[in-house]
Amino acid sequence: MIEKKEKHSTPDILEKYLLESDDLSNELQEIECPEGPSWNIENCCLYALSNVFINPKEVIITADLPMVELETIKVEVNDENLIMISAKMKNKIKFSDFGIFHRNGEFSFLRCKEKVKENIDSKKLEISFKNGILEVRIPKSIHR
Amino acid sequence: MPESIKIVEKKIIPSEATMIIGLPDVGLVGLIATSFLISELKLEEIAYMDSDLLPPVIVLHDGLPKAPLRIYGNQNLIAVISELAVPSPAIYSIMRKIVDWAEEKKVKRIISMGGIPIENRQTIKEPKVFGAASDQKLIEMLNKNGVNLMKEGYIVGAQALSMRYSLSKNISSIAILSQSFYNYPDPQAAAIALKELSKISEIEIDVSKLLEKGEEIRLKARDIMKRTQQEMNKMQKSQEYDLPLYV
Repeated sequence: MIEKKEKHSTPDILEKYLLESDDLSNELQEIECPEGPSWNIENCCLYALSNVFINPKEVIITADLPMVELETIKVEVNDENLIMISAKMKNKIKFSDFGIFHRNGEFSFLRCKEKVKENIDSKKLEISFKNGILEVRIPKSIHR
Repeated sequence: MPESIKIVEKKIIPSEATMIIGLPDVGLVGLIATSFLISELKLEEIAYMDSDLLPPVIVLHDGLPKAPLRIYGNQNLIAVISELAVPSPAIYSIMRKIVDWAEEKKVKRIISMGGIPIENRQTIKEPKVFGAASDQKLIEMLNKNGVNLMKEGYIVGAQALSMRYSLSKNISSIAILSQSFYNYPDPQAAAIALKELSKISEIEIDVSKLLEKGEEIRLKARDIMKRTQQEMNKMQKSQEYDLPLYV
């Protein structure tokens, strides 16, 4: 197997360092600052909780999808390895259902998205739904 | 500046009571279980915590302001919940204060309810519950009542501190830990933890309503779960997956 040679010139090292610190700062921001509301009135959606696990062979994404119609669950992967999960809810949910009367809006979908850095083979993704949790397994690919 | 942390009593506090603690943690098991217990037993708010260590937040319920960390009770039971993810740097002082107050009120036993994260939770139909206790007598009591024992392992966070501080004050302390999702709200795990609680106490709760409301709770609890996860990450909660070494 031919291994890619590491770049060792100063600009390359600097670029690598800057990219790494960018990633780190994004990760820190995610930890420190919640991204705002867990809903989007314009898109009529509530954001689902989700997780990404990575093992040597595959990327596993799980999402907690309560109160959804199973047959409406959609999983899409775009060219930038962004995995988008969406499902229609069994009933429309209003803020008033949560006891909130100072906001207006109703929600018909649960959605979430996760971006992965790994090269993945999205054509081979497998989906399962157990105990209210959607599990998406995508094998890693060697080449993009 | 000295840190300000006090428990403001609103009603007469029972003595010789059992204290149940359900703070936001893994799968929100303790919080879901304890707040369900409060509403089923119709416990009254008897005190609340006021502290500069907590974020400047009040919660409105029926239009009335409430402290996020509140204490409920009746003649023989005290229940502590927080509707706010407890900031990780504050957890020591807050737990110390709760246990000090428990000692002052002559609490006879502290039972902290919580979850123990398990990786493949979605494949488990009925999560198991494990108990840990502060002394050998309590371990025997758990055994006798058919509670699985957590014999080795780490407990991290509020439950660890409640046990640590109870030990130093000679208050008997038990942790009831139900297998659960790490960062998804887990009402089923909470229901099973409550069933286990009834084995070791006189608290009898019908959990069928909790199970019926499970999906609604999962939807409603997304925000507090997310904030709790951020605090759990800071306090290295994932250490609960580790194997302890004691040769």
